[in-house]
Amino acid sequence: MRSERGLALLLFPYVAGLVVLVALPAAITFGLALFKYDLVSSPEFLGLDNFRELADDEVFRIALRNSLMFIAFAVPIRLVGALSLALLLHRRMRGVGAYRAGVYLPTIVPDVAYALLWLWLFNPLYGPINLTLDALGFPSPEWLTDGRDAQWAIITMTVFLLGEGFLVALAVRQSIPGELYELAAVEAASPLYVLRRLTLPLMAPAMLLLLFRDTIFSFQLNFVPALLVTEGGPPPYETTYLPLFVYRTGFEYLRYGYAAAATVVMFLITALIVVIQWRIIVRWRKGLAV
Amino acid sequence: MAAALEFQGVHKRFGEVAALRGLDLAVGAGELLVLVGPSGCGKTTALRTAAGLEEVSEGTIRIGGRDVTRLLPAARNVAMVFQNYALFPHLSAAENIGFGLRARKVARAEARERILSAARVVGCEALLERKPHELSGGERQRVALARALVREPDVFLLDEPLSNLDAQLRVEMRAELRRLHNRLGATMVYVTHDQVEALTMGDRVAVLSQGVLQQVDVPDAVYRRPANRFVATFVGSPAMNILSARDEGGRLRAGPFVFDRPPGTDGRPVEVGIRPEHLALVADGAPAQVEVVEVAGNEAFLHLDAGGTRLVARVGPEHRPAAGSTVALAVAVPGSVHIFDAETGEALT
Repeated sequence: MRSERGLALLLFPYVAGLVVLVALPAAITFGLALFKYDLVSSPEFLGLDNFRELADDEVFRIALRNSLMFIAFAVPIRLVGALSLALLLHRRMRGVGAYRAGVYLPTIVPDVAYALLWLWLFNPLYGPINLTLDALGFPSPEWLTDGRDAQWAIITMTVFLLGEGFLVALAVRQSIPGELYELAAVEAASPLYVLRRLTLPLMAPAMLLLLFRDTIFSFQLNFVPALLVTEGGPPPYETTYLPLFVYRTGFEYLRYGYAAAATVVMFLITALIVVIQWRIIVRWRKGLAV
Repeated sequence: MAAALEFQGVHKRFGEVAALRGLDLAVGAGELLVLVGPSGCGKTTALRTAAGLEEVSEGTIRIGGRDVTRLLPAARNVAMVFQNYALFPHLSAAENIGFGLRARKVARAEARERILSAARVVGCEALLERKPHELSGGERQRVALARALVREPDVFLLDEPLSNLDAQLRVEMRAELRRLHNRLGATMVYVTHDQVEALTMGDRVAVLSQGVLQQVDVPDAVYRRPANRFVATFVGSPAMNILSARDEGGRLRAGPFVFDRPPGTDGRPVEVGIRPEHLALVADGAPAQVEVVEVAGNEAFLHLDAGGTRLVARVGPEHRPAAGSTVALAVAVPGSVHIFDAETGEALT
């Protein structure tokens, strides 16, 4: 009994934080989605009207499409990047610590500083990216003024934020016993065969978790870059993603109920994507076992 | 096809540490040679250099007369069984056994046939669909063995394959491995730190200490005629009693015993070695006080103090002296005493 009380005591700060900072705001958001509320007037119950309006809202549809496109490109690139770098840097070699730190470094740079840095990198006149491309004879993308280029600019910025995924992949790769690789070497397995039959299947459960986490994370990841670097544009809404849509709807247009409804939709879409990924991966793993 | 394996002047250094120091050892085609020694003696390193998992610092390794020293593991046609089995946790027993075949692009149908045949040899054909976590230690061992023999390699390299099994299963698997070897006629190098395993399994036993080969011979000879003090004390349990001896008018006094000095030992400081089973309790002998009695079923080990000399005697069920009592001790088997050079440790008789 004492140990149960002790456990409850130890868990209390976490549970309290979870309830106050996550569960309660989430519940309020779900409730708010059914109201019209602008912080000034009393909330007005609308039922599902906010959701009906969202369905016809052109800007919301663009933001949703942008978010899904962002996830479709950014998540696989970041995941493959984290995995590749972990496979490249898991061995002991000269300077490997510096390389690993280098991979992780962008993740710990504050969001705003990181966005401002990229604003400079993408500058069409004096930004080092376009200067380098010019010098090499490549066409210079219009990172901040062309819709497609701006979307790639946001993806490019977030690709480097793979430190946590890299760290997890590195730990998982290092936890695979070296004997398995030695055996594969004795059994004349080619590097590709080892990667396909040994490394990837053994890393798959962790990579699967990373995929889910990165998908969820990616819905929010583009908020600061889109706000500070491209300001949701080029016009009309080329880099307006769901978080930016919610932010502007709530804090600029003071439509809190409508913003809450968009948040609920974002939550449901995230859940749906995770479920679809889960089902695909379960099938894939069954296929692998044959 | 069984092939001979030869180490010629093999050195292996890890930085400042020398793991192997000029190893010269020839394993005959079809022979089961046991490499035995204490932890850190270099036995696993020797095995790994043969497999190509460690590069040698100096020397040559030949398999079937072919110099394989600089060849990759894949090109040596050896199979290895690891201490922890090294089974792939996500693959079934059948997939584990067939891993090397599929890696070598052996056709699926042929691979299936060979997997089944290898599984039958080690008696794991009923386990083929199971994953490693669904197998017991002994079953995992069988799968690892099947994986080793499915490719019909030139040499089998076994690194303490029984050390993770419980005592009873170890004894069973020991005999089974021996039978398997007799049946296959394969060249096997078997590494162990367990001298009982070494003596019971090997056609020959090679004893290593600090990277140096101490003796290689048939098990009986290693036990009866150890080449030096290290082999004498390492092989046999309890260890051989080693007593420093001094000359007393042409005879040797070692602890409570006096022996005729064997020819060829004159003029040099020597030590005397007596196996515990060669000491006997007699009616009239050297007095010794019993300090500890370890009863091990049918026999007992007596830890004795004979006038300041510590001795261990192995006695039968008819003797169970109480701790603290005094017994009379004699060397039971004439000619069973070993004489070692006190400085070099080399056996002189």
